[in-house]
Amino acid sequence: MMRHRTRRVGLATTAALLAVVTLAATACGGRDDDSGSGSTTTAKEGGSSSAAFIDPSVDCTDYQGTEGINGDTIKIGTVRPASGTYAIYDQVTTGLNAWVTYVNQSGGLKAKDGKSYKLELIKEDDAYDPAKTPALVKKLVEQDKVFALVGDIGTEPNLSVRDYLNEKCVPNIALATGSTQWGNNKQYPWYIAGLPSYATEAHAWIEYLKESNPKAKIALLYQDDDFGQAYEKAIKKAIKGTDITIVAEQGFNPLGGTTPEAAVTKLSQSDADTFIVGLGGTPCPTSLKLKPDTWNPATIVSVTCAGKTALSLAGGKDQGVIAAQATYDPSDPADAQVPAVQQFRKDATAAGLTEQQIDGGITGPGWGFGSLFGLGIENAETLDRAGVMNALWSLDTDSFGLVRDGVTVITDGTEDPWAIEGFRIVQREGDGWKELSPITNWEGKSNSFAG
Amino acid sequence: MSDATALGDGPTAKVAPSPARRVPVGRVVVSVVVAAVLVALPFMFPAFRVEQFVGWMALAIAACGLNLLTGYNGQISVGHGALYGTGAYATALLITDLGWPVWPSVAAAGVICFVVGVAIGLPALRIKGLYLALVTLAVATLFPLIIEQFSSITGGGSGLSITTPQETPRGVIERPIRLESPGGSLAPDQWKYFVFLVLTVVVFVVMRNIVRSRTGRSLVAVRDNETAAEVSGVHVARVKILTFGVSSAMAGIGGAVFALNNGRINPSSFTIVVSIYFLIAVVVGGAASVIGPAIGAVAYGLFIDVLSPELPERFKPATPVILGVLLILLMLFAPGGIVGMWRTSAAKRAAKRARAATAAAASGDTV
Repeated sequence: MMRHRTRRVGLATTAALLAVVTLAATACGGRDDDSGSGSTTTAKEGGSSSAAFIDPSVDCTDYQGTEGINGDTIKIGTVRPASGTYAIYDQVTTGLNAWVTYVNQSGGLKAKDGKSYKLELIKEDDAYDPAKTPALVKKLVEQDKVFALVGDIGTEPNLSVRDYLNEKCVPNIALATGSTQWGNNKQYPWYIAGLPSYATEAHAWIEYLKESNPKAKIALLYQDDDFGQAYEKAIKKAIKGTDITIVAEQGFNPLGGTTPEAAVTKLSQSDADTFIVGLGGTPCPTSLKLKPDTWNPATIVSVTCAGKTALSLAGGKDQGVIAAQATYDPSDPADAQVPAVQQFRKDATAAGLTEQQIDGGITGPGWGFGSLFGLGIENAETLDRAGVMNALWSLDTDSFGLVRDGVTVITDGTEDPWAIEGFRIVQREGDGWKELSPITNWEGKSNSFAG
Repeated sequence: MSDATALGDGPTAKVAPSPARRVPVGRVVVSVVVAAVLVALPFMFPAFRVEQFVGWMALAIAACGLNLLTGYNGQISVGHGALYGTGAYATALLITDLGWPVWPSVAAAGVICFVVGVAIGLPALRIKGLYLALVTLAVATLFPLIIEQFSSITGGGSGLSITTPQETPRGVIERPIRLESPGGSLAPDQWKYFVFLVLTVVVFVVMRNIVRSRTGRSLVAVRDNETAAEVSGVHVARVKILTFGVSSAMAGIGGAVFALNNGRINPSSFTIVVSIYFLIAVVVGGAASVIGPAIGAVAYGLFIDVLSPELPERFKPATPVILGVLLILLMLFAPGGIVGMWRTSAAKRAAKRARAATAAAASGDTV
């Protein structure tokens, strides 16, 4: 009985004290907001001109424009899957890391203030699970105090922190995803994609089919999330008014812990003559491998799958697959002599990448994402977060990273949020690619292709 | 034992009028310290850390519900992750699709999960132990698949954002919901922390009152010996079903806190693994003790959110292995969890004091 009463006293005291102290704390006011290391910039400082796309004095409530720049070092962060089904994309980050090493070896990035800046990259692993991404990104921003995020992988993971980063006015540069959502830069100006829009890619496939097989019957396999649905919707939009039809379609859930076997088997029983694989990660080559020998449709794969490492997992069934290509493939003998590829091979080797990693096709995009960030730093009128984003929202250059000659790199904050909008159509032949149709640039049109 | 303690406290204790009216100084000191720490935390850490603390509260509330069922009533559930998810999705859908305010949505999540829990609890009248664990395991495994199946409502693999339209410099944007403190005196994460801390304390006080009541004793009676309980006048079926319901409602409220804390939910947050987390929190803290699941949730949170990210890159993939080894060690040396360990050591100390006192008294007599 006594024991009973003393316990009650204890718990009641705790509760009462909690209430009192909470009230007191509330009255005393919130957290000290000056903890950030960056200075709070006001008014026009961040914009390059009055026409700048981002004006921090309007867009941000608490703008920490130079946070993450310490002396001559810029700290950046990235989130990628180093474990789980999509761990294959860790190599994108290996490429990004090599680019950082290359920049630091060659003296840093030259900004318009005349100084050169070295880079420090902090990597986090979210296993491609959007439930894990927010805590990691918030840690990078609030604890590590990075200047920007670069080359973050995955549509869902990036979506899960879009509101947070845009509200904090922290740049998320060269997202390793081509979701049509990144076309909405008017509302989310701190996000810029590093890949072409998946809708533009799908549009390029259908344009090719219109020429090669105007009555194509498509069996469509797509990842049942924003990434795969972007393909699905864009294809449906692009085939409107044509004789091309979708005769069978299957969604595949990447986090369901299964292989796409059931879906591929069902699709193979349709009378489709064209098989579109809108999947990423290892499920993509796996579904090529699972294709029964009796079914021989023209097979189109996602750009995220069209590289040596991914296709080597297809058990030899990669020959003849078709893809839309915007960048050089270092492992393609036909591209080997191109100066941009030779330069990449030399720099990447010096930065520690192995021959296998260079040829794999996954490190290249990571290198490219870094290069896009580098363009932002080098072209920023003032070196702060808004300055870098505004530079990226007014790009007009021939190329960066491994982007093919002939693919234009033009952006305009208000009109054209996509850096890469040109593709050629290629077919797998041996270890390389055979061109089926030359580069077409859909400058400024990507948003209109989204379904 | 109270006599022994009084003796041990020396002459002043003998002067004290009655042991029953003695103020439990130790307990008050501990309470003050715990309360002070809980209040100070959100002012000492950055926002992302404070949000992790709120995540621990969600885990503690759900584990508290599981403890009622498993610890006190002896029914094993490996399916509370599904109820946690049901609570989270119910809250998200009510707020986003039906425009309900926050608190009615949280309450509704509790009620919905109570009903679902009663439905799941029905088979528990006939099946027990491992077999019940298997049935609930199936529920836990099915939940993410069901969410994906009804993707037109739940958003499928893309998840669901709890958003409200907000005015921004770039027009009206659907932004994740957040609880704003009156007058904006606290940062949103700090206000959220205190609001959910109060909710957590309320849930634990309710839990304590249930356990101490006649109902609580009948729960334990059913756990220890169903036949004896039935003979003593306990309506076993009613007790079992209601326990399942109340326990599920608590898991649902935990899920609601999780959803409101994150602002966005995905089926991947409610896999079978989550159900295991709850069991871990209960077992680590100490089953069949009111505060045990809270301590377990904090211990688990410390490991997952604070310690494991600091592991060297090479060891990070081994995080589950390290957790497993720690659990095995804990179960070897403290099968009663942290609370059990504390109780054992307290009992040992008391026994030692009593022996010392007896010895002192004996030697005093001889001198």
